[in-house]
Amino acid sequence: MALVPLQYAFGSIWHRKGATLLAVMSIAATVAVLAGMLCLQQGFLGVQTQGGRTDLAVFLRPGANSEGESAFDLERSQIVMKESPEIQTDDNGAPMASAEMFLAVSLPKVDGGKTNVPLRGVQPMSFAIHGDDLKILAGRNLTPGTNEIIVGRSITDRIADCKVDDELELNMTMFRVVGVFEARGSHNSEIWGDVDRLRSALQFDNYNRVIGLLKPGITAEQVHERLVVHPRAPAKVIDEKTYLSSQTGMLSGMLGIMGGFLAFLMGIGAIFTGTNAMLSLVASRTHEIGILLATGFRPWAIFVSFLLEAALLGLGGGIVGCILVLPLNGMQTGTTNFQTFTDIAFAFQFTPTVLITALATAVILGVVGGAFPAFRASRLTPTQALRRG
Amino acid sequence: MPWALLFRNMLGHPVRSALTVLSVAVALALLCVLDATARGYTSAVDLAAQNRLVVMSQVSLFVPLPLAYQQKMEQVEGVQTTTKFQWFGGEYGDRGGFFAQFGVDADAFETMYKEVSLVEGSFDEFRGERTGCVIGKGLAAQYGWALGDEVRLTSAIFPRGAGGKEAWTFVVRGIYEAKRKNFDEQTMFFHFDYIRDSLETGAAQGAEGAGTYAIEIDPNMRAETVMSAIDALFENGPQRTRTTSEAEFNRQFMSMMGNIPLLLRSIGGAVLFAIFFAVLNTMLMAGRERTRDLGIMKALGFKNGHIGMMLVVESMVLILIGSLLGVVLAKGLAEVMRPFVSGFAPGFAIDGAVLAQGLTIAGVLGLVSGLAPGLRAIRILPVHALREDA
Repeated sequence: MALVPLQYAFGSIWHRKGATLLAVMSIAATVAVLAGMLCLQQGFLGVQTQGGRTDLAVFLRPGANSEGESAFDLERSQIVMKESPEIQTDDNGAPMASAEMFLAVSLPKVDGGKTNVPLRGVQPMSFAIHGDDLKILAGRNLTPGTNEIIVGRSITDRIADCKVDDELELNMTMFRVVGVFEARGSHNSEIWGDVDRLRSALQFDNYNRVIGLLKPGITAEQVHERLVVHPRAPAKVIDEKTYLSSQTGMLSGMLGIMGGFLAFLMGIGAIFTGTNAMLSLVASRTHEIGILLATGFRPWAIFVSFLLEAALLGLGGGIVGCILVLPLNGMQTGTTNFQTFTDIAFAFQFTPTVLITALATAVILGVVGGAFPAFRASRLTPTQALRRG
Repeated sequence: MPWALLFRNMLGHPVRSALTVLSVAVALALLCVLDATARGYTSAVDLAAQNRLVVMSQVSLFVPLPLAYQQKMEQVEGVQTTTKFQWFGGEYGDRGGFFAQFGVDADAFETMYKEVSLVEGSFDEFRGERTGCVIGKGLAAQYGWALGDEVRLTSAIFPRGAGGKEAWTFVVRGIYEAKRKNFDEQTMFFHFDYIRDSLETGAAQGAEGAGTYAIEIDPNMRAETVMSAIDALFENGPQRTRTTSEAEFNRQFMSMMGNIPLLLRSIGGAVLFAIFFAVLNTMLMAGRERTRDLGIMKALGFKNGHIGMMLVVESMVLILIGSLLGVVLAKGLAEVMRPFVSGFAPGFAIDGAVLAQGLTIAGVLGLVSGLAPGLRAIRILPVHALREDA
């Protein structure tokens, strides 16, 4: 049995520009909101989890979910670093592990207001662990044991006093910015300094976490099994990749839920508008449907043809919606990841995931909206259809 | 105005009219909810108490202030009452049910926060029990908690037990209602001393000190004077402080989240277009297919104004019915959303101002959508109208 030629669906959409345009725009508005939220989510996820390593173990206090909540005193951090055979050693036989301090410090933004910037205290071994992943873009690296700090490239233009040669006061101690660095993912939003200088300036008794480079073939779970029951220095151990994604679950989930919720409600409205537009298309072509039926096309072919037309309408809306959102791509924005309570800078990312989700949603909206009108069209009898009009 | 004809026209296309009304209803409900969120979000600043200050560490909200600071601050001229505010970060149940909890000084808290009005239980019962707590009525409703119930929370900031997963037990001794719109009803307050005792006995781990202090000042004193006096007191450490008004503290806290009002407004804009397209679509269709009827009416001597007006009124009636449904829907939606948004938008409510704005916008859109075909109806000549195919 023959399908109605494709040109028919294309042609008739074009013929009734006014009504279809409104239905297309209404789907476009829905898709634009969904795609916009997804771009935010993708941008956030991209910067946060980009390049998390599975061979880098993160040691936290048992029960802690983030480094801000975690604490290790000097003794326990030494036990974890020096008595873990799973950790790689460098050429001198020293374990490639480092005890870090972490604090979200309140600093003024360049464009006004304050935000929480992650401040990380590092040890000389931290640079060996990060290796080539860390590059100094301007100035030089910090000298261990001094009040020198380096800032991540994402914040040097965003936060006041974070350019090379600026001075930054933390509690009662002045620190000098000596360089701008680039590293993997969220480290680009951080300020790094000597861990012991920072701890003394901020009156910190403890370290927050320990990181260690694992020997090949060893997983963080294996270390966890051993350390979680350690009598003197119990610790929770996860790999960096898992750690980073656990820090983003809440915000990225919220953006996803919000996008879905808005798209659902607006989608209902768009389906209704689409149905109306398709109903009027069907009504204005009753005569033509009669002719199609009289020339031997079966009702299901009519149904498919109108459904196809509705899907095209939806696709049109999806494309327009994506075009509306496209200028956002690459736009810098920032928010607080309230799982870590730190500022995180990222850009809207129009990824293939966004495109596919948006277009698929648009087509579904069109098809659902067109189902009833298409059904109505297919139920006409030739005599009925030809008599009218 | 020929009302009978108007309604007959609308009922002539029951499916179309119903779909239009429904899409207006959904869109308006969404618009109201978005607007309520934006308003609730800013209300935390607008409605903050004038005579309350917040003291935090100058360097970070996450550095606790020494407990010895409290007594020193109380010596500052103009300071009347002070309470600690310690964020607890507890999670309820395995699925990570999350709401705000603060450890406070019970007496000072009762004196300073008059907007916290207990509807069940009493402050005396709360004071009398070290593990007692008062909870907002929103929280009580969300988790089905009643007076005397035990609430078990695990905290990553103050882990208990060797694995850190042992629960803290609290007993509900009061359920409060907020007398001020911007005060959250999803929060739990308990005794700061419960944390302190647990840290001292080694039952729990965590940092000593208080995250922030809230201060009530003499209303006759200038807030700025008191603020600088407090900050000057701790200029030489060990932790420098930053004292701000409650409004400023709330504003800074919210500015961290980025420009949420802008995000909400952008989405609201898209929703507006959606309503507009829905109604305009319907009215343009109605106008077009009724061209012949219009011709007949004109030939019969109906005035042009009346004929144009009919389409405008029809559009307004559709919008009105849709809006009323939308209001009902918005109220329902708000109840579902309250637990999720009241944390950052404590004043979240579908109130008069929200409804007035929503209905005004809907009314304007209805008018414009009706005018588009209405004006065409006025201009068209009877002969042309009658000649056209129906």
